[in-house]
Amino acid sequence: MKVKVTKILKDTLLIAWIKSYPDFRRNPLTLLLFAMVGAIPLFFMLVFSGGGLLIHGLVGAMVSSVTFIGVMAGIQDIAWDRYVKLREMIVSMPVHPASYALGIALAPLLLSVPSLIFFGALVASWGVLTPATTAWTVLALLFGWAAMSTIGFMISTYLFKVSMVVLSNLSTILGFVLVFIPPVFYSETMLGNLSWISMLIPTSNVAGLIRAYMGLLPLSAETIMVRWLILVVTTIVFVILTSMKARWRET
Amino acid sequence: MGTDAVKSVDLVKVYRSREKVEALKGVNITVGKGDLFTLLGPNGAGKTTFLRTISTQLMPSSGDAEVLGYSVTNEPEEVREHIAVVPQDVSTYQNFTPWEYAYYFARLRGMSPSEAKQASEKALKAVDLWELKSRMCGTLSGGERRRAIIASALSSNADVLMLDEPTSGLDAVARRGVWSALRDMVEEGKTILLTTHMMEEAEIVSDRLAIINKGNVIATGNLDEIKALTPEKYRVVVEGKFERLSEFGEVTKLGDRNIVYVKTQEEALELLKTTLKMHLRAEASPVTLEDVFVKLVGGINNHEGQSH
Repeated sequence: MKVKVTKILKDTLLIAWIKSYPDFRRNPLTLLLFAMVGAIPLFFMLVFSGGGLLIHGLVGAMVSSVTFIGVMAGIQDIAWDRYVKLREMIVSMPVHPASYALGIALAPLLLSVPSLIFFGALVASWGVLTPATTAWTVLALLFGWAAMSTIGFMISTYLFKVSMVVLSNLSTILGFVLVFIPPVFYSETMLGNLSWISMLIPTSNVAGLIRAYMGLLPLSAETIMVRWLILVVTTIVFVILTSMKARWRET
Repeated sequence: MGTDAVKSVDLVKVYRSREKVEALKGVNITVGKGDLFTLLGPNGAGKTTFLRTISTQLMPSSGDAEVLGYSVTNEPEEVREHIAVVPQDVSTYQNFTPWEYAYYFARLRGMSPSEAKQASEKALKAVDLWELKSRMCGTLSGGERRRAIIASALSSNADVLMLDEPTSGLDAVARRGVWSALRDMVEEGKTILLTTHMMEEAEIVSDRLAIINKGNVIATGNLDEIKALTPEKYRVVVEGKFERLSEFGEVTKLGDRNIVYVKTQEEALELLKTTLKMHLRAEASPVTLEDVFVKLVGGINNHEGQSH
């Protein structure tokens, strides 16, 4: 049967809506919780640095808005869908697997929009956002979301038989480790000679790119190119690893 | 294929994890269009595997099945256009309402918003959930939640509905609500393939049924045809001690009660008279599907299937 691109796109948006709208409408505290993931480090940075490092923290808050729940959703939503058997029902429907995967990944992005707008507005008040910077920032955030979502998908695919509780804990731990330990809320210059590590982790790589576009981190054009390349390659590698193992129809 | 909604031919499914498990051993089943067909079997018989295979969730190891003439192996996309599935032990999202389940599933089928609204209203009314359509599933009873899921399958307007133990865990009232909805769907011309391990359910709702055990179909037909597979037509339940019961027929001992299976009404009456003379309590009735089922799958302590 000929694959209809419009149907795939429509189903993607529909699944994203299904997976986000009920939470949006009936559980708005979830949105506050997501925003607090970024806001709590900011509070401590304000108290202990006197506001000097706050702009770095705000960049981190924007990155954490899309990446923290990106990896969590990639793992938890798929595990939860297996548990409530929603996935089984969708497999037996005329829905393309790409629609399901993209829809699942897109849903947390929709949920992160309010906190992203909030932190983005604070960054804008710093005067570091031009139209070009904004465009690059949005693009970097989108790639960060894509990379973290694919990491989530990969983990849930390879740990197919692990219980939902374990996956849930693992996703939270991974979210914290990838968002709070690497230089996401702080500048990678603080790592000295080890600053190159930040390129290898999607969260800190995206934060570094955004800081560079905002003029907060001196990076050469070549380094920026390399960082983009690493970000794209990382995402593609995780997509390949996931697709090697993932089976829409079980064998 | 003509009048067949589902037809499996030598369907085999082997799971290869730590050890090889042959879940389906060459299953041949034909479900006519507009029938409510029940697949009856003990736990682990292969019912769910069969349903998951013909609903394109699992690839068969060998053999094939067709749904409305489309091969589940080679034409899964075409099959998916015509089926709707309610999995076993299915649960709901707590934040969803029955309306959202029915409406969004209809939209995923490719219906326009107005078509989906119409189909959802019809589906929710069919399962008697229209009044509760805007309540969150988390606040509904188990039976209502299950009916919300069934409504989502029903709103799809699929020709063939496949339901895996849809009333498992429901109370008697909720079960009857689901049965009533299923029979209404059949009256509307839908084909339903249902799995269950509940004899009463199979007996009440089915047009035709198959008994499956250890991956083999051991009997198939309508209720009368299945019941005709054993020569004993009556059962007499006798309470109390009675040494010579086996002289009357085959005896199944259940603690202080015995079920005696006899071939004719006269034999049943003879046994009743004898027990009355002994001041024992006894009750005679035609054999049930459960009696036949237990006999076919090998008795209380023996679940080894006998391939026919």
